[in-house]
Amino acid sequence: MASSTSIPSDASSRKKYSREIVLLTTLLLLLLSVVFTAFAARMYHKKYHVLADEWFARGEQDFHSGNARAALGDYRNALLYSPGNTNFQFHLAQALAGTGRDDEARAYLTILLSDSPGSGQINLELARIAGHAGPKAMPEALRYYHAAIYGVWDTDPIAMRWRIRKEFCEYLLNNDAMNQAEAEIIALADNTSGEDIPGQKIAGNLLLRARMWSRALQEFQTLLSHDPRDPDVLAGVATAAFELGQYSKADECLNRLPREKLSAPDLARMREVSKAIVSLNPFAPGLSTDQKAKRTATAMALAQARATACERQSDGAPSGSHPTSGLESALARSKQNEGDWTERNLRRHPERVEKAMPSVFEMEDAAAERCGEPQGADYALWLISRSRGGNTR
Amino acid sequence: MSFTTLPPAAPDTKPDPISQSSSRPVRNLWATWRSWSNRIFALREDQLFLFLAVLIGIFSGLAVVCFRMAIEWVHLVSLGSSMFPPVPRVLIVPTAGGLVVALMVIYVFPGARGSGVNQTKAAVYVSNGYIPFNAVVGKFLICALGIGTGQSLGPEDPSLQIGAGIASLMGRRLNLSQEKVRLIAPVGAAAGLAAAFNAPISSVIFVIEEVIGTWSAGVLGAIVLAAVSAVVTMRSFMGPESLFRVPPFRIASAGELLAYVVLGIIGGGASLLFLKWLAYARPRIQKWPSWTQYFQPAAAGLMIGFIGIRLPQVMGAGYSAIDQALHGQFSWKLLLVLAALKIFATGLSFLSGVPGGMFAPALFIGAMLGGAVGSIEHHFFPSLTGTVGTYALVGMGVFFAGFLRTPITSVFMVIEVSGSYTAILPIMVANLVAYLISRTYQKVPLFDLLARQDGMILPSIEEQREQVPLTVEVAMKTDGAVVALPDELARDLARRAEAKKDAPILVRTNPGQWLLLDREEIRQLAADGAMNTKAVEAKPKGPLPVLFRDQSLEDALHAVGDWPAVPVVSRADLSKFEGIVTLADILRAFRNASLE
Repeated sequence: MASSTSIPSDASSRKKYSREIVLLTTLLLLLLSVVFTAFAARMYHKKYHVLADEWFARGEQDFHSGNARAALGDYRNALLYSPGNTNFQFHLAQALAGTGRDDEARAYLTILLSDSPGSGQINLELARIAGHAGPKAMPEALRYYHAAIYGVWDTDPIAMRWRIRKEFCEYLLNNDAMNQAEAEIIALADNTSGEDIPGQKIAGNLLLRARMWSRALQEFQTLLSHDPRDPDVLAGVATAAFELGQYSKADECLNRLPREKLSAPDLARMREVSKAIVSLNPFAPGLSTDQKAKRTATAMALAQARATACERQSDGAPSGSHPTSGLESALARSKQNEGDWTERNLRRHPERVEKAMPSVFEMEDAAAERCGEPQGADYALWLISRSRGGNTR
Repeated sequence: MSFTTLPPAAPDTKPDPISQSSSRPVRNLWATWRSWSNRIFALREDQLFLFLAVLIGIFSGLAVVCFRMAIEWVHLVSLGSSMFPPVPRVLIVPTAGGLVVALMVIYVFPGARGSGVNQTKAAVYVSNGYIPFNAVVGKFLICALGIGTGQSLGPEDPSLQIGAGIASLMGRRLNLSQEKVRLIAPVGAAAGLAAAFNAPISSVIFVIEEVIGTWSAGVLGAIVLAAVSAVVTMRSFMGPESLFRVPPFRIASAGELLAYVVLGIIGGGASLLFLKWLAYARPRIQKWPSWTQYFQPAAAGLMIGFIGIRLPQVMGAGYSAIDQALHGQFSWKLLLVLAALKIFATGLSFLSGVPGGMFAPALFIGAMLGGAVGSIEHHFFPSLTGTVGTYALVGMGVFFAGFLRTPITSVFMVIEVSGSYTAILPIMVANLVAYLISRTYQKVPLFDLLARQDGMILPSIEEQREQVPLTVEVAMKTDGAVVALPDELARDLARRAEAKKDAPILVRTNPGQWLLLDREEIRQLAADGAMNTKAVEAKPKGPLPVLFRDQSLEDALHAVGDWPAVPVVSRADLSKFEGIVTLADILRAFRNASLE
């Protein structure tokens, strides 16, 4: 300390130059210093640029090879040499989100968003992070997804928006937000080009997931006109038709499906049920009176058997738990008219089919209510009953 | 304040060395230069001083840019480009760096010791603004080596001294008056600090708070000019970005300020702990045998290296770690560990005698502590809207205010380095709490303490804050004078004067103009004169200077001069008499104050 503060004895005795000379020298020195610093700064920035790019490239390599943890370190090193680089920050945020460090990722992305609030990419990442946070963060996710869809995309904005909307629809469906999902899926379907067959298939499948059967059927039927043998489209038409109660159409499409496609349990069951419905339904168009009578009689027999079995099954239940007005009364009524609803009488009096079948449905409904969803042919009858009630979605 | 004025440019009677033998263009050039130089050098010294402030700012900015690059270059060469260097390097580099630093400080640049703040302050108050340029070169090289190899210190305080040293050199070379040479060092200091922090406002305030130690308008203009020039220079080479990027946040309710008060208490306590440790350990380490000085920086480097194996964030200035804390990148446990280890590492580096600054470590510790407190508070009170980054930001200011005891600087510092104004209220509240805690339990601030340990008593703005200024009000007497109007009869006035034997007689002429009448003359006039002789005919002296009751007694001393008494009047109405002050009254007030 002492040495830094004491005045050397020769300080005053040093030769003094005129201010003019000193100032001129100072200005020259300043010029030289500026040139030197500019050169050094250029080298410095260049070196930093190279280091930043090298670490970033390593990060990219690690991230794409699935090693998000190593990528994190690389991106951080890259940011060390280019702290203001928004691209690096974005990739770091992605890597952070990839390693489950959502809060940290959100912190970076929020800063980036404040700089470019219209960025589709940043909004999308924030939406995904909000999506990870569960239903409580849904309003945030909705906001970010919308901002991402309507945000700025540098490359192929139309395709990007379509992809994000699809992701958004899936997010909504996964979180049972059906109302929002319907609107978004319709928008997705409307924004899908007619030539984009895979896109239309995706939209159709999303419509199916959202239980928008009519719209899905319409979508898949359009696709079917392009390629009548496309198994995905056939499955889509079948599913939508089945849910709409158009069992013969569903059956027809399912029959056209290749065997390997039918190995899917859902489709296999659907095929079995629709086949049963097609063979049991007395209201199918184009049936002769005999066929109608035969089917009605079969249905009656099946329903009575199911009702009787269900009644027996529930006999063990504590008394008074089942009111007699339901299953028992339906069964009793059908027994009462059993003579009128034989195959022969129904053939003679085809108009009785209209009275017999409601009794069948009544028994099936009552049995389903008491003993649970029916199986096999009973399930087919139960579905016919429901389709007669109407399902126009 | 006197200024040495340059003589006006005399007509050039000497034969021009160029004109005799050169061609016309050269002659024209020479004539232009003479014309310009005459204009420039004919500047009064205070005008030249302002021009110099700009030059100093640019030079300091360039020096700080080179200093920063030198630190980074040393870091890259010695520790490599990765955040996590290989273990052998982490251990060997700080140790070897420490050894070289020790040898350089002992044999080549003994003037480069310390952080730089006290050395600059001492230059102003002890050696008339003289800072040897050798110390500047030494500071540059040694700090670049020390910080670059991982010693836990910052580049800001050395930058301050580098700026001050450049300014001192320029002042001496330009043969400025002694007073100006003394004042020019703080101008350079502000420039150096402003360039280091990219923060012109806080550097100006810091230099006034800590280096000059008093709010003096005389040098303020030059300091501001230098700081602005330095920042502009620095930004032209290093870019305009503020030191840290802070995530956007908001403070939802006033009640949340309580959470920041808690941060202020904890930060104040931690800064106090650090202060006490340094205050306790430094004199003891200084008493160790002198041969240990060769190895102290190396030993500190080795210990920091051990910490750096797992937590390299602690090494060096730690700006990138602060940035990470501001982005909520660390868990609360890690934040606490980093804060504690940084206190330890910075203490080691500083106590071992490695030259380097305390600003960056203070910001680092504050950011980590703030982040940790914020995380814990969030755990217990999830409804708090401030992010962990917000608490880290406020924590920076808190620790800075508590440790360096510059409360105003700390507020502006945080705003400038983060480029965010949103946290102003929490920062102000928390900083004040931390400052009060630190001041209550540690009477002497850090830099004063270090100066005293080195055997110097330097002026401190904190001491001035403690002193209650004595005002005219304390000394004045409200009924100590006989006040007359110009048209009052001498006879009546003499009668009134008789009632107050020793009181001076004042006469108010124009509004605000006061004259002093001689008691004997009034008496003579009353005895000899006619019935209608007026008091003003008694040859009044004046006009008297006037004082206001809120003015300081130092002002009163200047005003009284040779006058027997000076009236105290109202600021709103200069003709309204409020009292009178004499030299004896002033001296009595000073005496009473010192007795109290």
